[in-house]
Amino acid sequence: MAGPIKVLMAKPGFDAHNWGATVVSMALRDAGMEVIYIGMQEPEYIVEVAVQEDVDVVGLSLLSSTYTKLIPKITRLLREKGAADILIIAGGIFLPDDVDLLKEAGVDEAFLPGAKLEVIVDYVEKNARRKKAPVL
Amino acid sequence: MSAPKVNSKKFKERKETFTTNSEIPVKRIYLSEDIKDLNYERDLGLPGEPPYTRGIYPTMYRGRLWTIRQFSGLETPEETNKRFRYEYENGITGFAIAMDNLSLSGNDPDHPLAEAELGAGGVNISNLQDMETIFEGFSIDKISAAVIQMITTTCPHTAMYFALAEKRGVKLSELDGTTEGDPVSMGGCGPFPDSFPPRQLCRLGVDLVEWCTQNVPKWHAVSFTSYNYRETGINAYQEIAGLFAAAIDYIEEELRRGRVPIDKFVLNFAFHLSAHNDFFEEVAKYRAARRMWYKIMKDRYEVTNPESLKFRFHVQTAGSTHTYQQPLNNITRVAYQILAAALGGAQSIHANSFDEAICNPTEQSVLIAIRTQQIAQMESNIANVVDPLGGSYYIEWLTNEVEQKAWEYLRKIEEQGGWLAAVESGWLFKERREAQQKHAQKLKNNELNIVGVNCYEMEKEPYQFEVYKQYESKAYEIQRAKLERLKKERHNQEVERALARIARDTEKGENVMPAVMEAVRAYATVGEICNVWRKMYGKWDQNII
Repeated sequence: MAGPIKVLMAKPGFDAHNWGATVVSMALRDAGMEVIYIGMQEPEYIVEVAVQEDVDVVGLSLLSSTYTKLIPKITRLLREKGAADILIIAGGIFLPDDVDLLKEAGVDEAFLPGAKLEVIVDYVEKNARRKKAPVL
Repeated sequence: MSAPKVNSKKFKERKETFTTNSEIPVKRIYLSEDIKDLNYERDLGLPGEPPYTRGIYPTMYRGRLWTIRQFSGLETPEETNKRFRYEYENGITGFAIAMDNLSLSGNDPDHPLAEAELGAGGVNISNLQDMETIFEGFSIDKISAAVIQMITTTCPHTAMYFALAEKRGVKLSELDGTTEGDPVSMGGCGPFPDSFPPRQLCRLGVDLVEWCTQNVPKWHAVSFTSYNYRETGINAYQEIAGLFAAAIDYIEEELRRGRVPIDKFVLNFAFHLSAHNDFFEEVAKYRAARRMWYKIMKDRYEVTNPESLKFRFHVQTAGSTHTYQQPLNNITRVAYQILAAALGGAQSIHANSFDEAICNPTEQSVLIAIRTQQIAQMESNIANVVDPLGGSYYIEWLTNEVEQKAWEYLRKIEEQGGWLAAVESGWLFKERREAQQKHAQKLKNNELNIVGVNCYEMEKEPYQFEVYKQYESKAYEIQRAKLERLKKERHNQEVERALARIARDTEKGENVMPAVMEAVRAYATVGEICNVWRKMYGKWDQNII
């Protein structure tokens, strides 16, 4: 597949802490990716944009305890819309024990506070399209 | 006298340049020549006297210690009441209600996102009943409470507290306290998904100020809050410039309306600032802010009432400086930040709990935060002398520097058309984004060191502490059931009538507060009231650039 990696970055629900999502968005953009940043939005809307824009990656940032509910909701909705090949990354304040919970719910990688930007960029570059069917 | 020459080989400095948190370069030492233009009478004055640089009261903490006002709220009103009692028993002297994101966004427990959002970050307050439960057992004529909300629910949440006062027989003309309902945060936080536009949000905010000036004169009807704005990554002088730009917008709007005189309505203003990491710069910031407010009031608006010239402010220790890693270290950060706020002459201080970078605070972490304030008040003797750093060459130089840079940044915002215009155009978001990027760059290059993050990291967390797991609670089920019961028991016709009146008065440009009070007394919910405005005003399409 050609063209730059396309990423949708969003903050599900009503959590206003946008610093992390902004900084990660800019780092991905600086690495040559196309990033759509939509700020605080309802899960249904995030999924709608992801499908419509045919993105490779959805990034979800939460610094609120809502992550245990809203992130699994989005991964489920994406699967229901037939978009299970989108790479899903999550970042924010997650209790270490909950990372497994997020992964079981369909998150491909979770980044905790202190994660280095270059590590996130590298992960996305390497994995953005790994879930897509190979083009023959 | 000029700076002494030193043997540059033997005393080589660690870095090429030293700067403050706001990137103001600082010299090795400050001398009298650095403040040679300082005129004591004009620039400092005595505490309690213009330009109030040294403090707004003659005796400051020798007369009355700063209020220990803890920002607090947990899931249900019942749990919050328990937490408030715990904090009160342990010596807090002021309350500040922390609401959950659902309430802050102006939505109810039956909203589609409520299952996730209810209880997140604070207490759910949907109607007067919830407010009654939170303050069960407290004499609200004897306590000082702050209703902390985003600007969206300024009127309805404040009206709930007022209605509670009425029911308890407390006269509104005597009621003391604060509404946050602040327009500064809009410049950093961005809108909730269903928020109405910023101009309309501010219109409702100014309505509350105006109504309080006439009916609840001791109430601070807006607390301009640069705290949240600072938390988005901007610096110390940008913080106070934004603070004053927003206050100026409110003043201009009220002057345009011409219903209440400026000398009176600015008495209903309060301010809420951040206490960040750069100790001396923060002290300088508070001192500069007092002097700037005095000049804005006196020179720009020719206000004469001395009370209106005084900059009264609350300080919150900066959550964004806390680390998720090695979280007990945050106790030390908070202690330094409290010290800066106290030496800067704050009227009230909230100390964060060490675990707030991880979860809602536990009883234990809140107790440590309260005790940290009490140790500062009782043991350190810092409250013995007013403005003890005043007269330091460095502090006076830095106060001037921060003030000058804040004036320049205020001018920049005004060139954008003022605070509101800069929010609408997206200019402030661009500024915020640039600050956040710069911060990331500095962290990466080790120009900025954070213990436990990019220096002194540890692979394994060294500390043991209890974690508060908010999502294990049943708050959603409890609050949702209460709301359903309420909707059956209240007089729904009265509610409908009051909601229709809110729509009518909003449309006609009348002050919305009488109608909002009527609605709240009838147990209309915050969601029902905000929906009236959502319908009329539509959605804020944020300009993200």
